[in-house]
Amino acid sequence: MATDDQARFDQTDWEEIDESVDHGLSANTKVVLAGLVPLVLLYAYDYTLVGQYEPTFGFVGWGYSVTQLDWLFALSLLLFGAYGALPLYQAPRMTKYYWGEFKRNRPAVVSLAFLAGIFTMGLLGPLVISPPETDILIPYQPPLGFTIGMESVVECAGPVTEAGGQRVCHGSLAHPFGTTGSGKDIFRSVVYGMQITMKIAFITTLIVVTIGSAVGTVAAYGGGMVDEILMRYVDIQQSFPTFIAYLLILYIFGGGIALFILLFGLFSWEGTARYVRSNALAKVEEEYVKATQLTGASTYHIVRRHLVPNTASSIITDVTLLIPAFILFEAQLAFLGLGDSTIPSWGQVLAGGRDALPYAPWVTLIPGLFIFFTILAFNFLGDALLDALNPQAEAESE
Amino acid sequence: MGLGWYITRRVGWAVIVTFIIVTVTWALITAAPNPAVRQAATQAALDGGNPSAAAERVRELRGLNAPLHQRYIDYMVNVYTLDWGWSTMRSQPVTEAMLSALYYTVQYSVPWTLFTILLAPAVGLYSAANQYSWKDHLATGFAFFGYAIPNFFFGIMLLLLFGVYLEWIPITYNSDVPVFSLENARQLIVPVFVLVTGSIGGTMRVARNESAEFISADFVKTANAKGVSKLRVYARHILRPTMVPLSTTIVGQLLALFIGASLLVEIVFGIPGLGRLTFRAIIAQDTNLVLGSTLFFTFIATIGNLIQDLVYTVLDPRISFEDR
Repeated sequence: MATDDQARFDQTDWEEIDESVDHGLSANTKVVLAGLVPLVLLYAYDYTLVGQYEPTFGFVGWGYSVTQLDWLFALSLLLFGAYGALPLYQAPRMTKYYWGEFKRNRPAVVSLAFLAGIFTMGLLGPLVISPPETDILIPYQPPLGFTIGMESVVECAGPVTEAGGQRVCHGSLAHPFGTTGSGKDIFRSVVYGMQITMKIAFITTLIVVTIGSAVGTVAAYGGGMVDEILMRYVDIQQSFPTFIAYLLILYIFGGGIALFILLFGLFSWEGTARYVRSNALAKVEEEYVKATQLTGASTYHIVRRHLVPNTASSIITDVTLLIPAFILFEAQLAFLGLGDSTIPSWGQVLAGGRDALPYAPWVTLIPGLFIFFTILAFNFLGDALLDALNPQAEAESE
Repeated sequence: MGLGWYITRRVGWAVIVTFIIVTVTWALITAAPNPAVRQAATQAALDGGNPSAAAERVRELRGLNAPLHQRYIDYMVNVYTLDWGWSTMRSQPVTEAMLSALYYTVQYSVPWTLFTILLAPAVGLYSAANQYSWKDHLATGFAFFGYAIPNFFFGIMLLLLFGVYLEWIPITYNSDVPVFSLENARQLIVPVFVLVTGSIGGTMRVARNESAEFISADFVKTANAKGVSKLRVYARHILRPTMVPLSTTIVGQLLALFIGASLLVEIVFGIPGLGRLTFRAIIAQDTNLVLGSTLFFTFIATIGNLIQDLVYTVLDPRISFEDR
C-alpha cells in the first residue's frame, strides 16, 4: 500500500528527521500556542478592561458580550483543531484509509454531513442572524406550508385565506418554521440552539477526555495504592447518578447552562478513565512499547505518544455516546422548567410549546425533531467510527 | 480467594459507597443556605418583625445551631434508621410519602422491565440470525429510533396522537382504578411502550453484536451438524453465552432510564410516582423530600451496580475476581 509513497524507508533522510525532532515542539503544539496566545490576551482584555455587561468587541462594532462559556468553547475548538483535525491532515494516507472504511456506512456519512451542517450553522449563524425576539402580535405563526385558524393568532405574518367560513393564517417566508407562543421565530431559536448544542458537545468532550485519559493513564502507570484510590473514586462517581446530583445541586445552589456543562463534564469521565486504564495496562505488554522503553523514552513520552493515541478509538466511541446523553439531559431539564431559561436551547423551545400542543404542534415538534436527529446522528457516527478506527473492538466495546 | 470472598468484599464496598454519597449530600446541604430559614426571615420582614431573630428561631428549632460533628452524626443516624424527616409539602413523613409514590412507579416499572428482558434478547437474536437482511436493518433502525428519540418527546407525541386526536387512551392518569384492571392497562400501555422502546434499543444492539459472534462459533457448527433443531440451537447454544454480557447491559440500561427518563415520563403522563414526587418537591422547596428521593435514587444506583458486577461474575465462571 505504502510502496508508491514518497516516504519510502530507504529514501528517507534520517538526519533531517533527527534535526526536526530536536526542535521539541510538534506542529500541534505550535498551533495550540499560536491560538492560545491571542485567546488569553483577549480574555485578559475582556476580564480587566471591559465591564461585565459591555460588549467585548465594541471596538469593531460587534455588540456581543462574550461569556465564560464562549471562552471555553473557543478553547475546546482550538484543541479539537490541533489534536483532532490537524493529525488527519498530517497523515493523509491514514485519513484516506479511515475515510474509505467510514464511507461504507451510508447512514454515518449522512449523519456526519448533518452534524457538520449543524456545527457550521451554530458557529456562524448567530453572527449573521439576529437573536429571536418576543413579538406578542404574532404568536403561533404556522411554519411554511401549514395553516392555523385566525382565532389562535393576533396578526398573521403570511397570507390569510377564507376556507369554509373560517379565516385561516398561512405560514410565510418571514417565519419559515413558525413562531412560539410569545412570537419568537422558531428558525432563529433553532439556529441559536445549535450553538448551545455544540457548546455542550465540545466543552464536555474536552473535559471528559482530558480528565478521563489523565486519570486512566496515571492509574495504570502509578499502580498500587494510586491505582486503587483512583479507581475506587471512579466507582463512587459511577454510583452517583449525575442527573440526580445535578437536580440536588440545582435545588440547593441554583444553576445555569455553564454549571450544567461543567458539572456533567466533571462527573462523566469514569467510562473514559476505565477504557484508558485497561487499554494502557494491556498495551504496556506490547512489543512496541517495550521497544520504546528500551530506547530510553520517558514514561510521559510513552503515555503521550503511544498509549493515549492507541486508546483514541475507544475514547472517541465513548464520547460519541456521551454527547447525545448530555443533549438529552439538557432537553429534559429544560422540559422540567429547571433548565437555563435565558438561553434559546432546543429543550427550552420544546418545553415552551407544550401547552399549545393540540393547535400549534410545530413549536414542540420542530426542536424535538432536531434533538432526535442530532442524537441519532451521533449514534450512527459512533457506530461507524468504531468500525473504522478499531475493527477488532466490535464486540468488546459495548 | 473464592467467589464468596469476592461477593463479601463487593457488598462491603457498596456499603462504603453509599456512606460516602450520604456524606456528600450532607456536606452539600450544610454548605447551602437553608430555604426554611430564608423563608422565615422573609416572612418576618414582610410582617414587620425582626428577620434575623426569626431566622435564629428557626435555626434553633431545626437544630442548625448544634456543632457540625453533632449534626453530621445525627444526619447519618437518621438516614440509616430510615428517619428521613417530615415532608412539609405532603404533611406526612418522607418515607411514607415515598412509599405511596413507589406504589405507582412499580405499576409501570414491572411490566417495562419484564418486556425489556423478554424482548431485547429475542429481537437481538432475530436480528443476528438474519444479519444484513432487510429484517436486520428494520430491527436495527427500530433500535436506533428508540435509543435516539427523547422519551418525554415521544411520550408527548403519542399522547397527542392517541389521546387527543384518536381518543383511544385517557389523557389524564386516574390513580383510583384497581391495579389489575383494563382501565389501568389502558392508561399505562403508552408509558410502558415509550420506556420499552427506550431501553430495548441499546440492549438489542448488544444482543445482536454478541450473538453474531457465536453464530459462527465451532460449538454452534457442531450442534448444527448433529442435526439439532434450529430453535434449540438459538435458544440453548447461542442465547446462553449471549446472556452473560447482556445481563449487565440490561441492568445498566434500565437503571439509567429509571433514574433519568422515568421521571420525565411520569410528568408527561401525570403518573403520581416517585419521579413526579421528586419534581414537585423541588418546585415546592421541600428539602427533606428532595433529599429523600435523591438518596433513594442513589441507593438504587449503587445496588444496581452491585447486582451488575455480581451477575457478571456468577454467570461467567472465566472471570477472575482477584484483580478487581
